[in-house]
Amino acid sequence: MFGFLKGLSVTFGQMTKKKLTLQYPEVKPEWPERFRGIHQFIPEHCIVCNQCARICPTSCISLSGNRDENKKMHIDTYDINFEICILCDLCTEVCPTEAILMTDQFELATYSRDELYKDIHWLYENHVKHGNYQQLQAAKVQAAKEAEEKAKAAETEKATVEASTAGSDKGGDA
Amino acid sequence: MEVNQKVQLPTIEYEGFTKEESAELRRAGVVLGPLEQIKGWARSNSLWPLTFGLACCAIEMMGAGASHYDLDRFGIIFRASPRQSDVMIVAGTVTKKMGPLLRRLYDQMPEPKWVVAMGSCATAGGPYVRSYSVVKGVDQIVPVDVYVPGCPPSPVALIYGLNKLQEKIRIEASGKKVSS
Repeated sequence: MFGFLKGLSVTFGQMTKKKLTLQYPEVKPEWPERFRGIHQFIPEHCIVCNQCARICPTSCISLSGNRDENKKMHIDTYDINFEICILCDLCTEVCPTEAILMTDQFELATYSRDELYKDIHWLYENHVKHGNYQQLQAAKVQAAKEAEEKAKAAETEKATVEASTAGSDKGGDA
Repeated sequence: MEVNQKVQLPTIEYEGFTKEESAELRRAGVVLGPLEQIKGWARSNSLWPLTFGLACCAIEMMGAGASHYDLDRFGIIFRASPRQSDVMIVAGTVTKKMGPLLRRLYDQMPEPKWVVAMGSCATAGGPYVRSYSVVKGVDQIVPVDVYVPGCPPSPVALIYGLNKLQEKIRIEASGKKVSS
């Protein structure tokens, strides 16, 4: 009897504590910054160096590109076979231009294996819904704004300096 | 902010009843539907998976069953016997030695039954895709309903996959086919 009460005291002790279950489909989890979800690919940044495809331990990345008239490489196709991708993050680490990134998108379950082949368009569109890229983009916009403001400030300074020198010149003439 | 938007219940017109009669049924709280749909609703809300962990994905599956993610919220309760279960979550690498045993466990499960391939290994072989001893995708042995990619998929990703399976059961009960 005493043992029974002792056991129940633990149970009732838990009742006052905070509930810790994540109510997933209603409440989305907050992932840490370096969470590894499916990739996002930015074709403008890619220089077709093939390093991601070479370092991939399961060889799930295949890509192709060609040279334009300015002898610059451009990406044509970029496919990730997400069936065998193990989300090791090596491709993003090795990428010199950060053309391939990890998003926090994890809702990838499908009814068919064919849907797990992700092509360049899917991987590019991947930024629309998800976190990491938006953060990056926001940071970029912020940086651009700051740079613009700086440039404006510099310009106004220059203008005032010019105006003052012009005024002194005029003064000299008179 | 519009907070007091009225929640509009769908006005269902039951077959074989007049408008007034179906309104009366709705007011009385009676829900009518085809038997198949009611069965689908019941089945999708009491999926009992077989405790069947093969590799590291099993750790995530256990995590999904524990209190932080809590699969019991969806009526998903792990059973220790294939004869009491509806779903087989293939969590991990299936070797060629394990293949026949997996098939036997699947055959021992009573109908209706579903299979979830959890992780890269069960989907397509994953990092062992060029191995001599690993089955390249569990769909070579048993029919798979939902594929959950990841290595291993997080418990949340598994919950998403299981929700997709519930959705599939409900859609198929209404006589439609899921678009693959």
